[in-house]
Amino acid sequence: MKKIIVILAAAAALVSCRSLIEEWQPVLGDPKPSAQYVPYTDSNLPPNSPAIGSYKTIKELKTLYKGTPLSVSGNVWIKGKVISSDVTGNIYREVYIQDETGGIDLKLGKSSLYSEYALGQTLYVYCDDLTLGAYNGMPQLGLAADETSSNEYETSYIDLQTIIDQHVFKGEVGTPIAPEVVDEAKVKAAISAGFTGELWGKLVTIKGLKYGNQIFALVYPNPNLPHKSANPENRVFLSESTWGIKTWSLSKAKYIEMLDSGALDQAEVGSGATRYGPGSVCFVVRKALTGTAQESRIEAFGMDADLTYKEVMKKYATANYVSHYFKLGSTDIQVRTSGYAKFADQVLDAGLLSGGKSADITGIMTIYSGAAQFTLVDAPETSVKVY
Amino acid sequence: MAKRILLTIAAMFSAALLFAQTGGVKGTVINRNGRQGVEKAKLVLLKDAATIGTTVSDKDGEFVFRGLPDGMYSLVVTAPDFLETQIDFAVVDGLVKNLFNVGLTSIQHVTDLDDDSFAAFDMDDSGFNDNPTILFGSNDVFNNIAGYNFSSVRFRARGYASESQEVYLAGVKLNDAITGYGPFSLWSGLNEATRSKDTVNGAEFADFGFGGYNGATNIFGTASQMRKGLRGSVLTNSTLYRLRLMGSYATGMQDNGWAFAVNVSARLGGNDWIDGVYYKSLAYYLAADKVFDDANMLSFVFFATPGERGAQNASTQEVYDLMGDNMYNSNWGYQGGKVRNARVRKTNEPIAFVKWEYKPSEEFESNLTLLYRFGKNGYTALDWYDAQDPRPDYYRNLPSYFYGTVGGVYNDDLNRNNPMKYGWSQWVWQHSGQYPELTHINWDRLYNVNYLQGGRSKYIQEQRHVDQSDLNMAYSFKYRPLANVDVAGGLSARINNTEYYKKVADLLGGEYFVDVDNFAEREFAATPYKLQNDLDYYLANGQARTLHEGDKYGYDYMAKVRSFGGWVTGTTVLGKLSIAAGGRLGYESFWREGLMRKGLFPGQPENDAMAAQWINEGIEPTAETSYGKSNVAKFITYAGKLNLNYVIGGNRRMYANVGYFSDAPKFNQVFLSPRTRNSMVQDLKTVKTFSSDVNWQYSAQGINVRATAYYTTIKDQSKVMSAFDDLQNAFSNFALSGINQRHMGVELGFKFPTYIIPDLSLQGVVAYGQYVYTSNPVMTQTVDNNAEIIQYPIISPDGWTNSTVVPVRYWAQTNLMDGTKKQHYVPTTPQTAISLGLAWNHNYWFIDGDVEYFDRAYLDMNPLYRTDYAVAGLDNAITNEEIEYMTEQERFAPAVLFNISVGKSWFIQRKYQLGFSFNGKNLLNNRSVKTGGYEQTRLVDNTVSKERFYRFDPKYFYMAGTNYMLNIYFRF
Repeated sequence: MKKIIVILAAAAALVSCRSLIEEWQPVLGDPKPSAQYVPYTDSNLPPNSPAIGSYKTIKELKTLYKGTPLSVSGNVWIKGKVISSDVTGNIYREVYIQDETGGIDLKLGKSSLYSEYALGQTLYVYCDDLTLGAYNGMPQLGLAADETSSNEYETSYIDLQTIIDQHVFKGEVGTPIAPEVVDEAKVKAAISAGFTGELWGKLVTIKGLKYGNQIFALVYPNPNLPHKSANPENRVFLSESTWGIKTWSLSKAKYIEMLDSGALDQAEVGSGATRYGPGSVCFVVRKALTGTAQESRIEAFGMDADLTYKEVMKKYATANYVSHYFKLGSTDIQVRTSGYAKFADQVLDAGLLSGGKSADITGIMTIYSGAAQFTLVDAPETSVKVY
Repeated sequence: MAKRILLTIAAMFSAALLFAQTGGVKGTVINRNGRQGVEKAKLVLLKDAATIGTTVSDKDGEFVFRGLPDGMYSLVVTAPDFLETQIDFAVVDGLVKNLFNVGLTSIQHVTDLDDDSFAAFDMDDSGFNDNPTILFGSNDVFNNIAGYNFSSVRFRARGYASESQEVYLAGVKLNDAITGYGPFSLWSGLNEATRSKDTVNGAEFADFGFGGYNGATNIFGTASQMRKGLRGSVLTNSTLYRLRLMGSYATGMQDNGWAFAVNVSARLGGNDWIDGVYYKSLAYYLAADKVFDDANMLSFVFFATPGERGAQNASTQEVYDLMGDNMYNSNWGYQGGKVRNARVRKTNEPIAFVKWEYKPSEEFESNLTLLYRFGKNGYTALDWYDAQDPRPDYYRNLPSYFYGTVGGVYNDDLNRNNPMKYGWSQWVWQHSGQYPELTHINWDRLYNVNYLQGGRSKYIQEQRHVDQSDLNMAYSFKYRPLANVDVAGGLSARINNTEYYKKVADLLGGEYFVDVDNFAEREFAATPYKLQNDLDYYLANGQARTLHEGDKYGYDYMAKVRSFGGWVTGTTVLGKLSIAAGGRLGYESFWREGLMRKGLFPGQPENDAMAAQWINEGIEPTAETSYGKSNVAKFITYAGKLNLNYVIGGNRRMYANVGYFSDAPKFNQVFLSPRTRNSMVQDLKTVKTFSSDVNWQYSAQGINVRATAYYTTIKDQSKVMSAFDDLQNAFSNFALSGINQRHMGVELGFKFPTYIIPDLSLQGVVAYGQYVYTSNPVMTQTVDNNAEIIQYPIISPDGWTNSTVVPVRYWAQTNLMDGTKKQHYVPTTPQTAISLGLAWNHNYWFIDGDVEYFDRAYLDMNPLYRTDYAVAGLDNAITNEEIEYMTEQERFAPAVLFNISVGKSWFIQRKYQLGFSFNGKNLLNNRSVKTGGYEQTRLVDNTVSKERFYRFDPKYFYMAGTNYMLNIYFRF
């Protein structure tokens, strides 16, 4: 009896040790490789996930938006295949999915999403508590906007993993969706439809584009300082010509190279009605601060006030977006490329730039303030066919 | 006259012959703590294992046995509160053998401190380090008590950095050649083999080496120094590992002149407090001594401690509060339902040495040791390419990322307020049991990301190696030319080649990884050669290396250190006063040798063919190079010390030490970014230390007291902190130079009988110091993925200017614009540490109870927060509020702890000894004691106002709550 009591007491002492079993696991050999996740299907719901109520098509979802952010409620689902990848760095913190009715920008606020979501993979999105909104007219599905005094957006990123886990379920990796070939009429129709335009967020191929001989880029001389429209002194516009930029975008190194070349010397500073061009004291090669009343607002440059704009721009150089204008018939298509894209510094085909050649491009169609924009998903050697 | 002289000589000769027939042994039993005589020590004289005599020491500790014929004898010395000691000696030619001092070591009731006594803090990517100092206690009343009782708060004697504590093995100074850190981990688990040691405090002289200003310890480590007999123990504790099994056997010196010893142990399992921390370690030790004659002995020793241990990570207080657990460890997660730690130290660094002891006479002895350390030292970590940060407590996963507060109050300037995300994030962390995949590393997700990539792993587990090949020679001698003069000295030399590299440890379900620098890719994606970690391979094969498990990648370089030097000390006794003086002179050089040419820093082409290839491939040569040999840093080092020792009445003494040291900085304090290039800190200087102390010691009749006052200045220190900055997506390296410190304070240790209850003593220690910075260093920042030295705005006499050499203006003090000043302190160790307790010893029972108080411990500071730039913010306008906020150094809250130790041993059949010791620590279960931490080296700069910066939350380590250690042992 005494032995039994001792054994029981010893056993009780052992099991009462916190996590005794767990603490020996690393000691007793390496764990086996993890099992592969089982893909989500209509009939295979992961534990604790909400049961699927009703599916809406992406088009149906978009029609719920009435000009103000909409918090979706109820057991509403959409599903679509992944059509975007951030592998080249031209798309960042978002995934586009598409069904047979259209595509939508899912604002998953994480980096390297291509590592998690493969092209052609079906995503099931539980929309309850998500917010449908617009960014300069472009439909987006995210979360309720931040409640900060400076917020300008209708939605915020779905960047908390638990919320992603509750709303985005990974299905099978299937055949990637083939891009839809669109013509000018379709683009115009989408532009006139506005938010519910069929093309926005969709993988498309546009054929027969001609180079438009202009670019648009807005760079901030000192990105660390305020640079909204109320701070025109910290905005430099590159527009209405190409400014000698022949690459898809400007990496930091390329941006500095362009500044050094003098190609940007005549750029205007300012925004809206407050612009300072070559006739003014305040453009790229002039001093940031002259002491004149008109330019007193640029005192915000503080210790850099003695530098020229160009010097300030070099000092705080970062990668910059560039939009190249193309023409589809009479319709402008801006192909917007991130300076962080791995192909940012690739040069556009010379024949294309000179107007002698045309291009078919494949990527995601978006809308920005009533104009058609285009985002390359793959590097130009894959997504731009010049002929 | 001549006849008278002859008669006299004849009489003397006859007397000598008469005396020779009555040989003997004599000596003085002394307490190694203070070296005073031990009264009533029992001495048993053995010949051929048979007792042939006993005696007790007199009031001065002296003893004598007479009438011994020539032959070998053993003398066993026992005394209450002291460890038993056995000495073997020979009586030759009928002379009385004078053993001089027979030192007894105080019984230490607790398990020896070693590297295992301290949790392995994972600070690899933080820019800071934490290397505990181990106070070896048995021969000093202060260290004896403080060493164990203060170890839980990682107490550092006098506030000194651990690398200033000199640690010797068999006479070889074995502080790490690259970092200077104590090498305790090399023999952890070999407690029996390393138990015998000599220790000196502060700037005292040692006879095994010159020593520094922070004490020196020499572990004997030879077979004959190990306690004779068979011993075994089983130990369990609740803070580090569940089980330790240890066995040892030592023959002692045998009649045939051989001594053998073996010690093996295994430390296994986890603990009650820190999940993911575990041990899977073995240790073995083999040694043999051979006495050739009376003068020569050779020792051969080989040991190693192969194994692995999981490391503990620091987190922010926000995480601890959300988890409701200050011991949360973000390093581990479940894989297939089983615990796996991402940060595991895996080591196998054997040491072999040969020692020659030469003692031709009573007046002269010397030791020559040749020691070699080699093997592998790896530390695993997660690595990822173009994938999300897998750390569960990454700041973007925390509630504070969605609701910005400063000082606990919402601040709109931080531009973070999303109630939904904040609420969910908080819920997840507060219900971590429901969300283990989010609050711990989600290994299953990492595998599944890899599965999705068609072979190329996005996540891997890397193993960072620091593999040393460390050859040491040390020679020391002691010589007594006159009865009152001792001379000691020595020579040492070291050749250390350490290879730093990392390798793929686990592809986590993928098939391969690719050797490119994903940090560089952010800036140079369009220039593929710049992304190459191994440019030569890329040029030869047209693509980056495809990596499989075991392959080296990322970086690979050698740190090479050469040093040699000599020292000499002389001691003379003038009555009650003894004076010792000595000096040391040395030379140290080191350099880096890159073994992998990195695309960002290719250097210059080495020949015409390479130059042509580079031109062809568009590779631009760089001034800084990753490949080949760097400049050699060379230093002449020297030091001098003086010791005065005055004995008062036989049981009290006053002594004082003063020393000046000019030491070389260490390799890791000099190279700006050794992973990527050869660049060194400019204007290298030796570190100059002046140290002085004055001491009073009393030891008699069970009373032991030591009181010390000390004053030390340390100047011209340099430091390089490399921290991963996810905003830069690279390692940022902050090189500091010109760091000065001042350490002053008092130490008191005492133990004396209560005289009220028999065998009950009152014991305690007080350590009160002030360890402060006395200079503002300058900082230079580089980033691993860029050749540029980062420029910062600084305030110069001409106003704001940009500079790459940045004064850290608020390092030593916070200087407000109204003239108010607030001192900054040397961090981590408590500057006030007090212990008071009772110790009862009777009939092989002991019970110790102590209460400890700690205060004035400070958080490690980063230099960035103490610059003009950080204080001013983006608007370059400095306010008192900004200075105060940004430069503040956190002072940890004071702590009170209760500890108890109980033990008993039994002798069975007068032959075997069985015993146990139980140590209960932190009995009040105080779980809010910070034992370390650091400030994150980065700024919150994306504010709405664009006027000022904010700090990232610091990270902390905490002490475990109530914990225990139980050791059951047997000896025979």
